[in-house]
Amino acid sequence: MAPRKVAITGLGIISPLGLNLAENWESLREGRPAIGPMKDINDLELLRFQNAAQVRGYDPLKHFEGGKEAYIDRFAQFSIVAAREALKDSGLELTPEMREQGAIVCGSAVGGQSAIEMGFEDLWRSGRGRVHPLTIPKTMANAGASHISMDLGLSGPAYTVSTACSSANHAIGQAFRMVRDGQAEMAVTGGSEAMFTIGMLKAWEAMRVIAPDTCRPFSKDRRGMILGEGGAMMILEPMDAAKARGAKVYAEICGFGMTSDAHHLTQPAMHGPSRAMKGALREAGLAPEEIGYINAHGTGTPGNDPVETAAIRDVFGAHANSLAVSSTKSLHGHALGAAGALEAIATILALRNGILPPTANYNEPDPECDLDYVPNKPRAKQVSAALSNSFAFGGLNAVVAFRTV
Amino acid sequence: MADDVAQKVIATLASVKRIPADGIKLDTNLQELGIDSLDVFTLLFELENAFKISIPDDDVRSIRTVNDIVEGIKKLLAAAPATPPPDAPASPAAPAV
Repeated sequence: MAPRKVAITGLGIISPLGLNLAENWESLREGRPAIGPMKDINDLELLRFQNAAQVRGYDPLKHFEGGKEAYIDRFAQFSIVAAREALKDSGLELTPEMREQGAIVCGSAVGGQSAIEMGFEDLWRSGRGRVHPLTIPKTMANAGASHISMDLGLSGPAYTVSTACSSANHAIGQAFRMVRDGQAEMAVTGGSEAMFTIGMLKAWEAMRVIAPDTCRPFSKDRRGMILGEGGAMMILEPMDAAKARGAKVYAEICGFGMTSDAHHLTQPAMHGPSRAMKGALREAGLAPEEIGYINAHGTGTPGNDPVETAAIRDVFGAHANSLAVSSTKSLHGHALGAAGALEAIATILALRNGILPPTANYNEPDPECDLDYVPNKPRAKQVSAALSNSFAFGGLNAVVAFRTV
Repeated sequence: MADDVAQKVIATLASVKRIPADGIKLDTNLQELGIDSLDVFTLLFELENAFKISIPDDDVRSIRTVNDIVEGIKKLLAAAPATPPPDAPASPAAPAV
């Protein structure tokens, strides 16, 4: 079968920027950060840093009945909430064939952290000597994909990709290729993460990469990343089928590139990200000059931002000066295994609406970060194609390409 | 002659990097010992445990030599209360943003 064009026909998201797609777009288009002091986490006084981007106002009881929410970790709840919204948004009526062949590919870096940490609390701090009987199925990283399968009644291939901060982009890329190559007639794909437990936060603190104030990607005074959480899913269909049913098509997902650095566990290298961007362009059949916007990995750490800037210059040459590059992590924080999914939605909506979300909290140019980062204010600009970058600890890089339809 | 703090820092460094302590001097540059960023995280973690202090992230960026670590720890020890909790926050909470 010849490769098919792949349409994005439905979006769903719950993030620090809002509890649904409309709220998220409103925050993105206004460049309104959702970073502030952490709440509702035990033992916060043990931490050196106090700020993060948390999902606020989420009530599981509005989404789950009969006590089901107690059986599903927060990260998997986010994946279900986002998948339901995406499917509804797509208007897709699932046929028996689609139910049998529909694919689900999710990303998550750390799975059900709340569940496993509650188990440790029960065992060692409370001295109960036993843990909740569903600790294992709540903790497993594939819980998001499994619950979406059961919730939507999809019984085709379903799995979770776990590649740290690139998880969602790897997942989206895999789902894209399955639909493109005829292995699936529709796919639900994205990522979810909910890692705000004191154990995880202490572990991040020990890595010394968290900013004490806020996330300032590419700004000279940046001091690190801000952790986030959330879930985002999209519905992929063959373009011809989507058009035939008169579906709203947000954008085409047209290319995917993945590489590894073979370099260092935590320090980024330029060539891996550069080759991943080139791979996504090659697969999309896009010339570098056709790209108008890049949603950067842009963590706001001293290490990432200059290396990503150099990689973009390596790929785009002189055209790098004409590109708009922004990091929406400055708005919604770094959602780890969900980051690529949150950022894919930001990229797709930027393409569709002709508004580029900004890099918020930007104060000061850095000679090592010398691109147009759309500082602080959203920009009305219609671009025809865009990339979304994710680069993970362990040197695993995943880049997705999108274009307007 | 290295003082107690210096001796403890050198012993910790030697243990983390699995190298003989007698090759480590106060003016030794960490790069000369093949210390990379992962070693630094691990070293700081061990030193926080050994001295019962909390080392702020901002103090870490200027570390180049063994003596930079020793001096930094001495300052933290001088500023610390007599019996600090092992995980006391090193700085006040950041302002809301």
